[in-house]
Amino acid sequence: MESLVYRHNRITRLTHWINAVALLVLFMSGLQIFNAFPELHWGSKAEPDEAFFSIAATNEDAEVRGYTHLFGLKFDTTGLLGVQNTATGPSPRAFPSWITIPGYFWLAGGRRWHFFFGWIFTINGVLYFLYNVLNGHMRKFLFTLKDAIQVPAMIAYYLRLRRESPQKGEYNPLQKMAYTSVFVILTPLVLLSGLAMSPQLDIAFNWLPAAFAGRQSARTVHFILAFGFLFFTFGHVFMVLTTGFLNNMRSMVTGWHNEKIAPTIEVAPETPVAPSPTAPSLSIEGEGKGEEEPENIASHQTSEPELKADAQENPKDEGGVNEKSKF
Amino acid sequence: MLKKTQKTRVALMKNQSFDLSRRKLLLGALQATGLVLFSGCEKMFNGLQQNRKFLSLLESAEGANRRVQKFLTGRNKLAQEFTEKDISRYFKPNGNPPPLAMDYMADAASQWQSWRLEVSGLAQSPHSFSLTELKSMPARTQITRHDCVEGWSAIGKWKGVRLEEIMRRVQPQPRAKYVVFHCMDTDSDGTHYYESIDLEDAVHPQTILAYEMNDAPLPLEHGAPLRLRLENQLGYKMAKYIRAIEFVADLKNIQQGKGGYWEDQGYEWFAGI
Repeated sequence: MESLVYRHNRITRLTHWINAVALLVLFMSGLQIFNAFPELHWGSKAEPDEAFFSIAATNEDAEVRGYTHLFGLKFDTTGLLGVQNTATGPSPRAFPSWITIPGYFWLAGGRRWHFFFGWIFTINGVLYFLYNVLNGHMRKFLFTLKDAIQVPAMIAYYLRLRRESPQKGEYNPLQKMAYTSVFVILTPLVLLSGLAMSPQLDIAFNWLPAAFAGRQSARTVHFILAFGFLFFTFGHVFMVLTTGFLNNMRSMVTGWHNEKIAPTIEVAPETPVAPSPTAPSLSIEGEGKGEEEPENIASHQTSEPELKADAQENPKDEGGVNEKSKF
Repeated sequence: MLKKTQKTRVALMKNQSFDLSRRKLLLGALQATGLVLFSGCEKMFNGLQQNRKFLSLLESAEGANRRVQKFLTGRNKLAQEFTEKDISRYFKPNGNPPPLAMDYMADAASQWQSWRLEVSGLAQSPHSFSLTELKSMPARTQITRHDCVEGWSAIGKWKGVRLEEIMRRVQPQPRAKYVVFHCMDTDSDGTHYYESIDLEDAVHPQTILAYEMNDAPLPLEHGAPLRLRLENQLGYKMAKYIRAIEFVADLKNIQQGKGGYWEDQGYEWFAGI
């Protein structure tokens, strides 16, 4: 009676968690950098009256309020964007402290985090990419024309308009579409739009900012794509939560996934779980050429300290904040 | 094999209890995640930011960025030059406002008659240039994009003398590695602005000491009478209100030793990104 399946090998798990940390840090430090100039523009330059998106704080009758402007529309976002309510009263800042790195306003710090973790994200991504191309795993989740045809059926299945899933193989068409768009669209574009903001690279590659219609557009694209990653992560985490959270977490931490817990989102806690035959999924697993067999890996399953490294640093005093004015 | 069976058993036990209190666990996990994300993380990130060892780890990316970018760029590639119609309607004058010192104001009033650019340090023939002298030297005009570390860009037209032209006259010694710009402006604490670049950037064809902006004498708020244009790096490298240029072998003994006013406060010396 086999119920545990070795689903994710060490490299997949390690790169997954490094990627998770890197994306979190890049997103939060990116918002810190954005706070230094909380406007979005299109083209090469940023004329102050041509911003199509901006976050600003205004003083009205001795009350500070935060406003978010988008294409001429004005939204009062006091408390979230523009003005944050702190223990010492309302404080003007575009994105609030809990979503930026560092939490206080310090552009230089945000840049240090961003550029360091940019390397981590890139190197980790390249390793992941090479490994999965070499062992043939990439083919399994690349979105093809065949999958595109299956997309309506898969949506119908999720909406319970259709009884059986059109899924063949390990990934369903919507999963493939999500993963492939992250690999083929989101990741290359976020890297290129980031690099297009570098004046040093721009002197060698004039086409780089031009490809985005200018440096300010590249900045805008970079910002929007960051939220693309956030959107993907929300979807990803939602699926992890709804398809057996602990089981999924275990498989991404230890590698082992229990196939007896039905992996669909259909299962409510009350309904008895039909024991799905594990043999087919096992045989699919066996196809992965470079994947280690459960027997080989079982011996080194004792500890997985991947995520802990950062958390162990002792968070010391928050004081001594060198808050300097912008320039 | 034995290990595996144990694992299976433990896993099955876990899963039974998991099914029973699934909802509770999920909610708990969500709450815990929220707590960790929103309060713990901020403290942790701020703590790491203050941690010297961790900060120097983060700062190690600067060297990688500089080497890789310089390698990819090669020498003497030119920044994109724009046309007259691309010039920004508004160009934010950033950094310190014009100095309020009496001699600066007097110099400005006299069209910089008594102002001199003092070029010294590790040079064979140090020299002081008057503005008229600088203007009589071969000039370069360029319409380029200015990128601020804050994130904005503006396009302006600049006219000035190439830094290489100055170097040809004063002849830096072989020991010289950096060009330091000493400025007249100060922050609110009275600290003088300064900046430094390496000799490779100094001899770049578009690296100029500008005395004109948009066909007019350099405005006070943009660094009159003389400012640096360095088109491959961010705005804070482009020293304004320049008083003196010094050729040095290293940057350790100047102010706090990081090579510039903002560098002394944690910003990158290599501002190519």
